[in-house]
Amino acid sequence: MAGSALKRLMAEYKQLTLNPPEGIVAGPVNEDNFFEWEALITGPEDTCFEGGVFPARLTFPSDYPLSPPKMKFSCDIFHPNIYADGRVCISILHAPGDDPMGYESSAERWSPVQSVEKILLSVVSMLAEPNDESAANVDAAKTWREDREKFNDIAHSTVRKSIGL
Amino acid sequence: MPVVLIERIPLPSLRTYTSISLALLACALYYAHNTALNPANLVISVPESKSADLPNELSSTQSNNTENVSFLGAASLLIPETLINMAYCCLFLIGKGVQKAVFGELRVSERQHMKDKFWNFVFYKFILVFGVLNVQEIEEVVCWCAWFSVLCLLHLLAELSKDRFEYLSFSPTTPVWSHFKVITLLVLIQVTSVSLLAMCGYIGVYYTGLDTFAFMIAECFLLMIKTLYVLVRYAIHLWDINHNGVWENRSTYIYHTELVFELCALSVDFVHHVHMLIWGNILLSMASLVICMQLRFLSSEFKRRIRRHKNYLRVLQSMEAKFPMATKDDLDSNNDDCAVCWEKMDTARKLPCGHLFHNACLRSWLEQDASCPTCRTSLNDLQPNPSSPEVPPPSRQHTPPPPPSPTTDQVPTAQNIMTNHSFHFDGSRYVSWLPSFSLEVHHPRNVATAASAASHSSLLDNMARQVREVFPNMPLSVILDDLRVTRSLEMTIENIIIGRVSAPPVSVIDQE
Ligand SMILES: [Zn+2]
Ligand SMILES: [Zn+2]
Repeated sequence: MAGSALKRLMAEYKQLTLNPPEGIVAGPVNEDNFFEWEALITGPEDTCFEGGVFPARLTFPSDYPLSPPKMKFSCDIFHPNIYADGRVCISILHAPGDDPMGYESSAERWSPVQSVEKILLSVVSMLAEPNDESAANVDAAKTWREDREKFNDIAHSTVRKSIGL
Repeated sequence: MPVVLIERIPLPSLRTYTSISLALLACALYYAHNTALNPANLVISVPESKSADLPNELSSTQSNNTENVSFLGAASLLIPETLINMAYCCLFLIGKGVQKAVFGELRVSERQHMKDKFWNFVFYKFILVFGVLNVQEIEEVVCWCAWFSVLCLLHLLAELSKDRFEYLSFSPTTPVWSHFKVITLLVLIQVTSVSLLAMCGYIGVYYTGLDTFAFMIAECFLLMIKTLYVLVRYAIHLWDINHNGVWENRSTYIYHTELVFELCALSVDFVHHVHMLIWGNILLSMASLVICMQLRFLSSEFKRRIRRHKNYLRVLQSMEAKFPMATKDDLDSNNDDCAVCWEKMDTARKLPCGHLFHNACLRSWLEQDASCPTCRTSLNDLQPNPSSPEVPPPSRQHTPPPPPSPTTDQVPTAQNIMTNHSFHFDGSRYVSWLPSFSLEVHHPRNVATAASAASHSSLLDNMARQVREVFPNMPLSVILDDLRVTRSLEMTIENIIIGRVSAPPVSVIDQE
């Protein structure tokens, strides 16, 4: 299976380097392993994450694109949809079989037409608009809902930390 | 079934071991030499020399020369053990050398895998030799150990090649040389296992019974199947990488290779274990327990594979029946590449929603989900079998809510206790100086569940406390129960909000 996954990842990498989307850089950590990517995401403008550069790791399964990759921020980031350990919780990263309860409709979940670019764009929009209905970090969700000022403060310090200040 | 051994044995490094072995050999040679020069020892030495014990190299030098006889006599006192030790040392060195030459530095995961495989192998062969064959003679023990040591080395190298092949196939820029080294090693292993097969045929026919022959040959077959599988996969991979354009049947070939080899290996292993059980005639011993568990594991693997294959056939069949191949016009009017593999489509299947995909791409997706990858239109007639392995069985235990007692996680734990067992080896039964020791074994599936249960329970506790902050009135046990089902904070919170989960009557009364 790895053969087709490799071809597809190479095609995605090529496309990402030819027309990189704004605010996103992504590629394999090293050429020896195309199944481990590093991505840099710029905080979207006009949000509390503006100006930050957040590194993340993407790990692809050998049956990609049939199964979704896993994404994890390698920096601290306080956000309702990001677990404390950095794992990103958005519906397009959930495999179709992942949700035995059927709470999420399958339309929102992973399908092979998704791509690294689409994942990263969804992450950017997730940074801009947290979805506090399905919170991975309950603390962050509570703060975001009830004490927006404090949330913004934390976000600003994250941004400062992410660019090395 | 892989076994995790609780190994706390401080093993010396290879370098220390080699130096000790060499020192021992030197001592033995020196001692033998001294004894040989001193004819007083001749009388004592000669009667004790057993020609059966003599290593071949020494037998060949045997002559009527008295000095030589005395030398051999003295040597036979010490040298066999030292030489056996030396042979093992060489085996380790060869293994290490091949590993260094072919694989270079091992990756962490590979090293861990090797370690597991090694202890797993040692454990099962130990069961076979002492539990089933019940070998009593020290010479026989030595022979079996030698046989299994060689096999173990080959198995480990084959396993390592497999791991490495998978890793190399993750990169498009792997140098040809790396592939060449791994393939050469695989071919060598294959050749060696064929010669081992011939050898055990010879031994089986001329020396031992048919049963021993069958035990030996099964091991050879397993090794051959494993190596051949990696070689075939390798061939497919290399062909695919160096082949321009789309190779549509690739996944079909890979699937069938996998199926055939997996089923072959499982059947051989199964028959091998049944044979052990029957031959050993060891009802109610620890060894038979281990073998029975292994049999159960093998048969469940077998069933799982067959189930997956049935799902595959069903998807294939209904796909062929329901979705026609795209016509030339369809292909012309569609400018896009296949959305699954991003490659050009020369032939394709057309879904009712009008989307086109490669035949193989569509099939592998439909095996796990019955919807159009692009527009998510449900293709309901294809609903995957709920028991198919890709789709975990939907556990809709939500209404009625699970009983408040935390039963769900207790069951595997109970099983876990059942499958933990120890094996006691009484070395003094064989030779007075052999140590006695016990091994404790547990099955990693349960270990995994136990470990994940442990990590889960702390995770669950954590999550439950977070939920409790939001809903201070909800009893912790109810939250935990729901979390156990949902495994997700947000779902449980949602459940509580919607009212899918409510406090049990007792606490309701309490609140009133
Ligand atoms: Zn395709
Ligand atoms: Zn469609």
